Amino acid sequence: MIRNLYLIYGLIVMGTLATAEYRGWSLDSVNQLKNVPRSVRDNPGSYRAIYSTYHHYTGGK
Amino acid sequence: MSAGGPNPPGPPQVKSLNCPSCGAAITLRSMNNAVSVVCEHCHSILDAQDPRLAILQKFHAATDEDQPLIPLGTRGNVRGTAYEAIGFQRRTIHVEGIPYSWHEYVLFNPYKGFRYLTEYNGHWNDTSILRALPSVNSLASPPTVTYLGQTYKHFQTAQAATSFVLGEFPWQVRVGESADVSDYVAPPRVISSERTGKEITWSMGEYMSGADVWKAFKLPGDPPPSIGVYENQPSPLSADTTNMWFAFAGFLALLILMYIGFDATARNEQVFQGDYRFDPRDRTEPSFVTDVFQLKGRTSDLELTTDANVNNSWIYLNYALINQDTGQAYDFGREVTYYHGYDSDGFWSEGKTRDNVVIPSVPPGNYYLRVEPEADAALGTIVYTITAKRDVPQTSFFGIALLALLVPAGLLTWRSLNFEHLRWAESDYASSGSDDSGGPAPTITRLFGGGDDD
Repeated sequence: MIRNLYLIYGLIVMGTLATAEYRGWSLDSVNQLKNVPRSVRDNPGSYRAIYSTYHHYTGGK
Repeated sequence: MSAGGPNPPGPPQVKSLNCPSCGAAITLRSMNNAVSVVCEHCHSILDAQDPRLAILQKFHAATDEDQPLIPLGTRGNVRGTAYEAIGFQRRTIHVEGIPYSWHEYVLFNPYKGFRYLTEYNGHWNDTSILRALPSVNSLASPPTVTYLGQTYKHFQTAQAATSFVLGEFPWQVRVGESADVSDYVAPPRVISSERTGKEITWSMGEYMSGADVWKAFKLPGDPPPSIGVYENQPSPLSADTTNMWFAFAGFLALLILMYIGFDATARNEQVFQGDYRFDPRDRTEPSFVTDVFQLKGRTSDLELTTDANVNNSWIYLNYALINQDTGQAYDFGREVTYYHGYDSDGFWSEGKTRDNVVIPSVPPGNYYLRVEPEADAALGTIVYTITAKRDVPQTSFFGIALLALLVPAGLLTWRSLNFEHLRWAESDYASSGSDDSGGPAPTITRLFGGGDDD
């Protein structure tokens, strides 16, 4: 019983892994935006980056 | 050790006599095979081989001091043979001053002879006297005995005393009689030796569940629940654990094959690389866009690497990967930071001069990057390189899959090991710190004061 459950579980894990690799999934966080205007190419400063308020590391030990 | 089996077979017979001490009726169920019989009214132990039932011993006990779970006279089917419960005794050992008792039942079949059932805390053993001597290896640690090719590990040795008796026995039973007893286990079996003077009796027990005993004797109600892990109780997890590790080995092989396959077939193609300089003191617009590059093949990932010559400084880059044709954008920010120096502990460093990010599931098409760098104006110009690679296998997923496969196998193994730990915590080999979690007390499984076999 436990063995069969593990086999099913393992197959799900392997299937998920294969899908992730084939479809190019990632663990990194990326925001998707739609309909970015073509004018950005001519005027890059017109685009407002989502991450522009990021708090930068200024440390050191 | 008494020898031999019962007298010539015949149909089950019952013989009634009277106790010479109190006159109460005494039933002899095993006829001439009993050596001792106990009067349940006055607790006289009588010589069953003597026609006058000579009194061997009298002991003091309340009539209902210890009631057998299998009432004497009950017939049941044990391993395909009908047996009748004819005798009952309680035996006790003392461990660190604490008495621990278990019960033993004498079963009789006129054709097969005697066998025994023992019970402690709901754990049962079906026991028979051995026909051949096991070989003992007392030099091993722990000592072992070998019988019919099976090795049994020593579990415990103690002195057991008979503390209560009822019914018939194929040996001269006495209350207070004690013997040195040792148990050797190889679940689900246990071999027990019992030494009285120069005489050693060897017996073998096989674990039975209370439900099996109740079914065998058609007893009413439910058996007492078993408490803790018993010395020869078979682990319910050992077979599952072995099977799971076999399955894990299969999955691991598949995992390796998949890794090789994905690594060999991935495009792993560099689609863009550009070198840039950023001077934060420059008052001009810092953002810019790269040349358009093409992403081919199926929907797949894009790995973006940023190498920067940061040295006790940082650079932050607002990235947007934009599809020139559809306007779809992947927006993310990355920081490259590297600090280092010396202090009282010596050299230290934090961060790296390289950063990697994987953009998931990017459809094929024509893309460009919009880049907006930021940095500390006081730290001067930073040179950095942006590299984009298409369809890069992600090792991290294989690591996660390996962990996901390991966790259930590891948990089951831990539970199985814990079961064994609880078993051996009650042995002579318990580690100091072993728990006392309500498991069976350190007792000996089956210790008869002698007895006949078929």
